[in-house]
Formats: sequence, C-alpha cells, structure tokens
Amino acid sequence: MVGSEHVTMVPSPPGQRWAADVNGQPVEVLAPSNAVLLDVLRDKVGTLGVKRGCDLGTCGCCAVMVDGKPVLSCLTLAGQVEGASITTVEGLSDGAHLAPIQTCFATHGGSQCGFCTPGFLISSQALLDSNPNPSRDEIAEAIEGNLCRCTGYQQIIDAVEAAAALHRGETEAPAPASSPHPDPHPSGPGEPTMPPGHAK
Amino acid sequence: MGGYKQQPGASKGEVRRDGKRVAGKQAFPPPGSGGSRPTMAPRDLAFIPETVGGQEPKPAGDHIHDRDRTGTTVGKPMALVDSNAKVTGQAWYGDDVRLPGELIGKILRSPHHYARIKSIDTSRVEALPGVVAVATGKDAPHRFGVLPVTKDEHAMAVEKVRHVGDLVACVAAVDEATAIEALSLFDIEWDVLEPVFDPKLGLEDVDEPIHWRGKYHLSRTNVQKRVFQEFGDRSLVNTPAASSHGSWTMEGVHHGFTEPHAVVAHWDPNGRLQLYTPQQVPHYTHRALSTVLDVPMHQINVVRTFVGGGFGGKSDPFPHEMCAALLAREAGKPVRITFDREEVYWINRGRHPSHINVKMTADEAGRISGFDIDALIDGGGFASFGHVTSYYNGVLATAPYELGSFHYTGARVWTNKPASGAMRGHGAVNTRCAVEVGLDEMAEQLAVDPIDLRLANLLPPHSRTISGFRITSNGMREALEKVREGSDWDNKFRQLPLGKGIGIGCGFFISGSGLPIHWDPKNFPHATVHIQVDMDGGVTVHTGAADIGQGSTTAVAQVVAEVLALPVEMIHVRSHESDTSPVDLGSYSSRVTFMNANAAIRAAIGIRDQLLKAAWEMLGYHPNVLVLNDRRIYYKHDPSIGVSYLQALHKAQEDTGALIARGAYRSPPMGGVHKGAAAGLAPAYSFSAYVAEVDVDVETGRVSCTNVWAAHDCGKALNPLAVKGQIIGSCHMGLGQVISEKMVYGRTGHLQNANLLEYKIPSVHEMPHVEPIIVESSDPEGPFGAKEAGEGPLLPILPAVVNAVYDAVGVRLRDLPLTPDVVFKGIEKAMKKDKIDDPEDLPCPRLTHGPLQPTLVERANLHRERDRLRQRSEDTSAYVNGVLFGFDPNVPLEDQVDGWRDADEPLPEQLAELGFAGRAWLKKEQRHMGGDA
Repeated sequence: MVGSEHVTMVPSPPGQRWAADVNGQPVEVLAPSNAVLLDVLRDKVGTLGVKRGCDLGTCGCCAVMVDGKPVLSCLTLAGQVEGASITTVEGLSDGAHLAPIQTCFATHGGSQCGFCTPGFLISSQALLDSNPNPSRDEIAEAIEGNLCRCTGYQQIIDAVEAAAALHRGETEAPAPASSPHPDPHPSGPGEPTMPPGHAK
Repeated sequence: MGGYKQQPGASKGEVRRDGKRVAGKQAFPPPGSGGSRPTMAPRDLAFIPETVGGQEPKPAGDHIHDRDRTGTTVGKPMALVDSNAKVTGQAWYGDDVRLPGELIGKILRSPHHYARIKSIDTSRVEALPGVVAVATGKDAPHRFGVLPVTKDEHAMAVEKVRHVGDLVACVAAVDEATAIEALSLFDIEWDVLEPVFDPKLGLEDVDEPIHWRGKYHLSRTNVQKRVFQEFGDRSLVNTPAASSHGSWTMEGVHHGFTEPHAVVAHWDPNGRLQLYTPQQVPHYTHRALSTVLDVPMHQINVVRTFVGGGFGGKSDPFPHEMCAALLAREAGKPVRITFDREEVYWINRGRHPSHINVKMTADEAGRISGFDIDALIDGGGFASFGHVTSYYNGVLATAPYELGSFHYTGARVWTNKPASGAMRGHGAVNTRCAVEVGLDEMAEQLAVDPIDLRLANLLPPHSRTISGFRITSNGMREALEKVREGSDWDNKFRQLPLGKGIGIGCGFFISGSGLPIHWDPKNFPHATVHIQVDMDGGVTVHTGAADIGQGSTTAVAQVVAEVLALPVEMIHVRSHESDTSPVDLGSYSSRVTFMNANAAIRAAIGIRDQLLKAAWEMLGYHPNVLVLNDRRIYYKHDPSIGVSYLQALHKAQEDTGALIARGAYRSPPMGGVHKGAAAGLAPAYSFSAYVAEVDVDVETGRVSCTNVWAAHDCGKALNPLAVKGQIIGSCHMGLGQVISEKMVYGRTGHLQNANLLEYKIPSVHEMPHVEPIIVESSDPEGPFGAKEAGEGPLLPILPAVVNAVYDAVGVRLRDLPLTPDVVFKGIEKAMKKDKIDDPEDLPCPRLTHGPLQPTLVERANLHRERDRLRQRSEDTSAYVNGVLFGFDPNVPLEDQVDGWRDADEPLPEQLAELGFAGRAWLKKEQRHMGGDA
C-alpha cells in the first residue's frame, strides 16, 4: 500500500453461509459475500495447498478444479461456485497413495521449489481427465497459464507425459521416487545370503 | 501407484523365508525385528568407481572420496526427498504458517521517491478499533545489512525514504481489512527531495546523497562502491590483430520466484522470538534480528519454511522480517505479514541494471591479449550484496580464457529505485554476455570459428587465472566439444538461411564463495553438519543448509546414505530451525552442494567408523577389509561373514547411547593479497558451454529460441535428475533476461510493471527444447567430485542467443532484452546502412576460414592433451595465466615483464583515460578532502 491517501475499506459484509464440496467432503463456512474463492479455501476451509502467487490470475499457483474444470481461484468469487464440487491439490491423492500425476512430478523433476506445483498438478490432471493421450504441444497448452520459475517446464511436460502413460496403463508405476529400496528397514536383510556382485 | 507410504512397509506383502512375522506389517517395526527383504541387494558396481573395484569410469583419475562410495545413491537420478510434501500440497511455505490467535501485519510504504520524514503521527491509527500494534522507524534505530561493511538498512525509514515502496511504518490488526484501513490513517509530514534515477548521474556530486558514509563517502556523489583491478601486460593491447568494442545496456531483472515474501513472528512464553520465514540465508536474518531487536542471538529461533523459489532474492535479511518481530513483540501475539506481488518488486534485490563497456583485443596468433571492462551498475536505494557485485562484474570474467591483460573499472551507484542485489549468476551474467559476444566478433575479424578460438585459449585444469583464482577441475574443453558435436555446429554455423541462427556462449562461475562474509575462515568453518543415529537405526542429519528447491536437503541425504550404505529413506534431514541446526551460511554463491555435502560426508564417515569399529569387535576383521552394502557390514572376501547394520549399531551404542558425529568444511587458504582478492575466490569453479538456435522474424524483430544444447561441468552429478533440472531451469531464467524480462522504470522513475503480467517471464511456449549435457570433471575437493550446478548454467544462454541472433540477421545487438523493438531497430539500421528496402534481402553473415584457423585448431589439439594430463594430475607442473604468452610459470610475472601490473588502484596518469564508471576514481573520499569526518 503506497501513499497516504485515505482509503476506507469497503466494509466487510457480514459472513454468510457458504457451502461446497471440497475434495469430496461437504464444507460449510461463514464467508463474506464478496469473498474470493482463494481466500475462502486458504483462510476458512484450510486447504493451504492452494497457493497465492499473484492475486491477479497471472501465475496459476491458485488453480483448483471446479466441477472438473481448472479455474483460478484468485479470480473466482466464492459465491460463484457455491455448491460446486471443488478439488484442490490435497484432493488428488487417494488416501495415502499418490495419484500418478503426483508420483510423476516427483520422479521426473517436475517440482523443484514446489510452490507452483499444486497449480500445475491441477491443470495437468484436468487435461488428463479429458485427454488420456495428450501430445507435448497439448500438454504445453494445458499448462500455459501456469508459471514455473524453477524447472523451465521441460521436466513438467515429461512428468505429464509419463502420468498419461500410467493412466492408460501402458507403463508400470515408476520405481518409488527416491531409491532402489522399496521397503527400507533399518535392520536390513536378515540372512547373509550373498547375491553376486560384491566387489573383491 | 507410487511409493507414498505414510506407514513404512505397511502395504508390503512379502513373507520372510524363516516364516516369521513380516515386520513391515506393523506400523512402526521395533528395532531388530528383522527386515522384510531377506536378501541383500547386490552392490551396484555401475555406481562404484573403477578406481576402487567398481565399474564407474573415472576418466579424471581417482578421487579422495572414491573409497567412501557404496553404490547406493550417488550418480543415480532420484526425486527430491521432499517432493512428496510438495506434490501433496503439504509443503509449508511462509504464508502457510498459521499460528493460533495470529494478527495480520501490513506495511505502509513510501509514495515518494526520495523524501525526508518530518513527522509521523500514529494517533489515528492507534485509535482504530482492531489495531493492536503500530511501529515506525524510531522503534528500531539499529542498522542492518547483509554485508557487515555496508549496513545501510533499517526496519523502517528512520530519517528518509529512498524509493517508492520503501518501508515507513507497519501495523498489526485483527484482520487484513482493518490493517489495510489503518495504513491510510498515518499522518506524515514529508520534505520531498530531488531524486536520482539515472545511474550515470550517480557519479556526480549532489546536495543530498542517498546515503552518507562519513569520511569514506566519495565526495558528494551517490557512488556506493568503486573498483579498479588491473593485471597483466598492458602493452599487449597496443597492436591488436582483432578487437571488439561493445557498449551494452542491460535492464534490471527480477528473480520472479512464485512465492511472495511472507513472515510470521511469535514471541513464545519464555520471551524467545520464533520467526518463520522463507529464507535462503536464515543465519544472516538471525544476526540482523539480533541487532535490530537488541536481543541476543540465542534468544531467537529462525525457522526456515519451505522456500518457494529464491534465486538470490530471498538471501538478504529483510526489513519486513524485523517489522513482524517488532509488531509481535508489541502485540504479544503472533503476527503474519505476507507480501502482494507488487511489494515483491519493491523489495527487489534483482539483477543490477548495467551499463557495460567492453574492449577486447586479440593478437596475430589468436591469443586474447586484453579484456578491458567498465561496468556502471545501478544499485537502487540500498547496498544489499552490491559491494560484491561490483567486484564480480569484473573478476568473474578472468576465466576460462588465458588473458594477456585484464583491466576493470566498476562503480555501483545508489539511485532512488528499489535495491538491486544478488540474483542467480550474481554479478557474472552481464559482463559474461558482453565478453562472449566480443569473442564472437573477434573470431569473425580473424576469420576463424568462434569455438576454435575459445578452444585454443582455455586455461587448463590446475592453473591460476590472471587475477590469482585457483582453478582445480576444469571441464570447459569437454563442454565446448560436446555442444559442438551435439548441435551439429560445423554444418550450421554461418550456413543457416536468413532468420535462422546459431550461437555459442560459455560460462564460468564460483562454486561457493571462499570467504564467509561474517567471519574469518580460519576461525570458524564454512559449513557444519551433525549426525545422530539412535537405536532405531534412523539417521538424523542436522544442517543449516537452506533448501530453496535446488535440492540441497536431497544432496545432503544422498551423500550420507552413500557413505553409510543405507536407503535414503532412512536419512532424515533436519534443516529448518536455527535452534537445532549448526550455523550455516545458507544458500547463496552456489556453495551448498560443495560445502555442506563435504561436511556431511565427513560427519557420515565419523558414524561409519564407529559402526566399523563395532563390526570389527564382532567379526574380528579390521575395518580395512570390511564392506558396507545395503544395511550390512561384511568381510570383503567372504560376504557370509557379516553383521547387519542394526547389529553393528547396537554394539556401537552399548556404552555411549546414540551415535553422534559432526563434520565441517573449510576452504583451503588461497588467493592473492591485492584489495578485492577475496572477491570471486572459490574452492572450485564450474564451467559451461551452450549452443543456442534462434528464429528471428526479420519483419517484426521477434526472436524465439528453438533449441539449446547445454553442457555444464558440475564435477560429478550426485543426482543427474536434479542437475538437469538446474540446467534447464537456468536456461529458462537466462532466456527471460535475454528475450523479454526487464523492470521498466518510466520517465518519472516509477516502476511500471510490478506484476507478473507485464514483467514477462517466459511461459511454456517461449521455452526452447533444452538438451542438458552433464560434464563430469571430478573436482578433487568436491564431495565425490561435485561442483555447483545452480547458477553457472545460467550464464552462457545470454551470449549464445545474442550471437545466434547475429548469425541469423547479421546485426550485433547490445541492448538487453532483445525485445522485438530492439531487434527491429537494429535491423532497420542495418537496412539503412546497406540501402536495402526489404528486410528479407538482408545479407547473412558467412564465414570463410582464414589462415589462422588451422593454427588455432592445432593449438587446441595440443592443449587437449595438455589438459588431459593435468586433469588426471599426471602433469603437476605449475601453470599460471601467461604461459600461453611465453612466460615462465615458476618466476613471478612481474620479474619477467616490464610493466606487469597487479593493481587495485589506478595510476595518476591513467585517470584521464578511464571508462565511464572508472570516472568514480576522479573523486576523492571525504577523509582526503578535509571535510566531514
């Protein structure tokens, strides 16, 4: 806020009931009638995975799915989507299991600092829901409203391609992200059964 | 589906061969209950160096860490260890920290470019219902700044504001609406002063300099820092066979990280400050908070949240962090301040807008006889990292080429604009672009291929630059050769049709600053890592390294897992809190992989040695003949003689409890003695070479980059996936600077594009295809040979694109960014000069090799062999910059050459001929003027 000119805020209208279905759960909160969806999701519903990057619809960090369509929650009034079914990044995974798109973002380097990632995941998932076999150009079109400053997009497109293949069932899920040990346990192998390959 | 398991092992259905219950079926298996995979995984010989019996090729020879390799993680692509938090939305960034009872803080910012504050009346603010705390500059009179030598910032303006958006006051209220309304109730009397926007005017005396440095102030100018550096034999430049003179204007560029700054401050019941902030350098914030709040450092806990992108823009201690702490102290409640995007631009710290003049000469043998650089950089309202930037703009151009002489004058001036600071490729980017384009121009005059010109002038591994930097590993030659081959350069350069072009650029960057800013490296190490292993076998690593998305946490986890031969999931890195982390300088100057991973390796070796000692006691075999692999320790000639990791661990803990070890990294003593010798000193340097292909629309001047071959020497790619990500990401950021990004200040000095719509960061559609090529020169001091990969890869993309545009349309452009208007103006000028009506008729530059070409190729071939031997340490003779010019490396150069200079101040007779920024040397400091003391 620059300057000393007097700005009297539009008085906050009293809270009204706002209800919607967020990530499969019915949600009812009190929100002013002029509330922006992003604010309601972050401050009232508590889905902090929805990120605020610019407030102007320029970065795509705040993308959420409303009835299956990606929208920028910073440019959407909560009232506009009253009663809708809203999916945020928190709603992509199935319980403890990541959705393919999430796994692939991790394994293909689609996420570095991770701040833009929720928005990219929503845009990409919305694409995959409607187009199971997108070309690289189609993927680029789907994520053109999302800004990423870390990855240079290339590995994001790789990730979406890989996730699409997973959705189609063409490939196995990639090996768990981080290591060749799918089930680490500190005590390690119990028996001294030696496979070949140890060094001299 | 992927391996996201909140309960490790819970979903596995494996049965143990001995029929016992599978431990993984329980949520948290008790220690010693046995693993769920009964056979040991084979050693992964492909990732164990050939020097210690594996199969990983080591063309650069052996490395001190080869014996510590276990083939577990190093060199294997892996996802970042925190990526699951990021893809599930659980990563907590600054604004995601929500404490109970929080207040919302807002900052009142200056509407004036430059004004003195006569008075601030806060009575109406305090009277507003819902306002809980108010603070102004007088509540925090202590200065701070990221560099101890230039502490020129306050939490809020104390005496005057220095740019639009400078902090004036702050307020905390029960909600955002009240806080915003409160901002309009401050009654402030201003005394508006005459602002300065043009950095060129910054060299002139004014009535009211933006800062006053007392006896060190340079006359009455706005010069914050002036630099003079001269090395080498200046007589060599007098008879050039080729020369290039370029006068560059580079606009300011912003980091454009997606997460706006945010901070949460809370004074806990014991009166200790808990400050949550997305910081690259939490330790400097920690120091600054202590100074500003007048609270000892141990009463402050700085918690680094996840950082939503930094790139240098979150590495200063920030005034809003002080504001949040002040407000929270007054209110007795947590205070959260989150910036909007506009405020992000007002705090800035982006790349300096620069005016750079480069004169370069080459002699008849195609040797580079002189670099002559003059850089005037626009620092905006505060010093920030500018002291260092002023040096980097010159000295980081002293390699990778062997130079006959080097001359640099630089000046950083204050202007009434948001402060410039450190940004990815700090200080090196703009001059690097200028000299690489100059090389291209000289190659054209000499009628030689620009890649061959470079290959014939490279400094070898294990050498010294003209300014005394110690170069260890050096993969520059391999990088150049790889991009030449990958891009099919020899069939494209100067042969593509009009509008299509190909260009080359190189880069050179520090891998960690050799000098810690706040202390003498002799007194305290650069980085410290603590490791603790308790009876459950999990390894907790404490480090202060700030993961800003580059993957430093992953790198630390990887090297610990590698040394201990444990799955990386068993390594838990704790790096968020200053209470638990050893002091660390944070993530800047590309130091984290090099310094922290080195410290982590040392700490992990400490743990490993305790385990091996226990195994020795149990097995009777000396640690020298024991092998670690996949949670087991065994006799290397008979693997059935062994103990599990956990057995060894429990044995080792018998008398001491949890195993503890620490490791530290300190850079070796290096560098010269001249003033500024420490700037640019690093324990290792990274090298890179890019070839870029562009399409230029000659009718509109629109440039689009289509393909990039990007080779970067990172020493050893600990995690190739992350290294490639850094290379591609660097390309993206550098491409933005060269094609579209600029901070636009209007005639009135206002920043006109403080949003992400008009500040044009390349979208997915502007992004070329990047072919990342990893070059591994195996740095002798790097962790497993690794060097930096985060900043250096940004440098070459700028000159590669500018050179490619020349190849496409034959126009040398020296105003960045190359927006269509700039390019088309250049095309129009060329048309006028050649009297052409249709831009489609523009002549394309072509190359016929001159007589020098075979000479250069021959020299490059000789040097290739020289470099190979030096890289492998077979040739250990001394090599200093100057050998190419016939000097003896064993005799001080000043004894061999009349007039060999090694100077940090101009001679009186030089003053008249200094470049524009060099004119700062015409001024005297106050202490020499008999004035203000």
